[in-house]
Amino acid sequence: MMGSRALKDRIGLGWRPALAAGILSNLDKIDIVEVIADDFFNAAHRERRALRTLAAQTPIALHGVSLGLASSVAVDPKRLDHMARLCAEIAPVSWSEHLAFVRGGGVEIGHLAAPPRTTATIDGALANLANATTIVGVAPQVENVATLIDPPGSDRNEATWVSEIIRGSNCDLLLDLHNLYANALNFNFDPIDFITSIPAERIAAIHLAGGKWIGKHGAQRLLDDHLHDVPDSVYDLLAEVGARTRRPLTVILERDGDFPFIGCLLDQLDRARQALSRGRARQINESREAAAA
Amino acid sequence: MSASQFEAFLAKVYVDESARAKFLADARGEAIKAGLTAQEVEAVERIDRVGLDLLAKSLERKRRRRFVKRSD
Repeated sequence: MMGSRALKDRIGLGWRPALAAGILSNLDKIDIVEVIADDFFNAAHRERRALRTLAAQTPIALHGVSLGLASSVAVDPKRLDHMARLCAEIAPVSWSEHLAFVRGGGVEIGHLAAPPRTTATIDGALANLANATTIVGVAPQVENVATLIDPPGSDRNEATWVSEIIRGSNCDLLLDLHNLYANALNFNFDPIDFITSIPAERIAAIHLAGGKWIGKHGAQRLLDDHLHDVPDSVYDLLAEVGARTRRPLTVILERDGDFPFIGCLLDQLDRARQALSRGRARQINESREAAAA
Repeated sequence: MSASQFEAFLAKVYVDESARAKFLADARGEAIKAGLTAQEVEAVERIDRVGLDLLAKSLERKRRRRFVKRSD
């Protein structure tokens, strides 16, 4: 059973062992902590106990990275069983996974790869999401992924593909704004068009992160590496989402390495709060203007 | 060929350096040899080569980091 949903936006941080002390000493400034579920599937008893202790102190969101939901291949039920057991033990606010394929033909990619955006992968994702919902007992939130390669064999754009999965399932969207930003820069589309074309009221959560440019001059791509601060444009996208949805959002800052002082991460959480407030205020003003017209 | 086999083909090209070298030398030939449909052959012939190169290097860096981490 998932925990009850608070009726307000929550701004939090991804749990990483290197950030543990900083997070635990600043829980008054962090509304929610997102934990990588896969790190605990085969964890020692004491590590699971530590996670339960953390869950008793702060709301937890569980985040999966290896199910491979957006594939024409069925997800291994054992992997879903692991997620189900962890959800039952921790009672997170939500659980989530990526719209990615991570293996094929016995080859582990070791990465969240964007599948061909086709009817076949939509059908596969919908079957996997239905199965995941049955086994875990609650529907996952599904996350858009960053990709360095334009997925071969695609016959529709990312916004259409994601929207078809969201509309065909009972899953809400975890919108990763840095993934969106990177894909938009790498494949030349407007991220605002993406935000306006997906079902806004199905956005339940947001990821924020940073990245860096890689590749030779003239053939560069933005890599979503989670090793850098959130760029200004991503906060602007958060404000845009805040202006377009009325539902409470959970916003998580992801940082996987090159860790700055915790104060720097807390400052980024404050900037996220401000951006979201800016978007909410714009929504109220636009509603008033529309009512007055 | 099924969608799952196409995903398997892509996974191998992304991860396996030798398979990728053969593919880049003769994308059409390798795709036909793998039994891809005409539509899929056409899709991989038009593959985003800049993206493939960057993705492969990124995956290799990740694997090396994981190996170093396990060796610590």
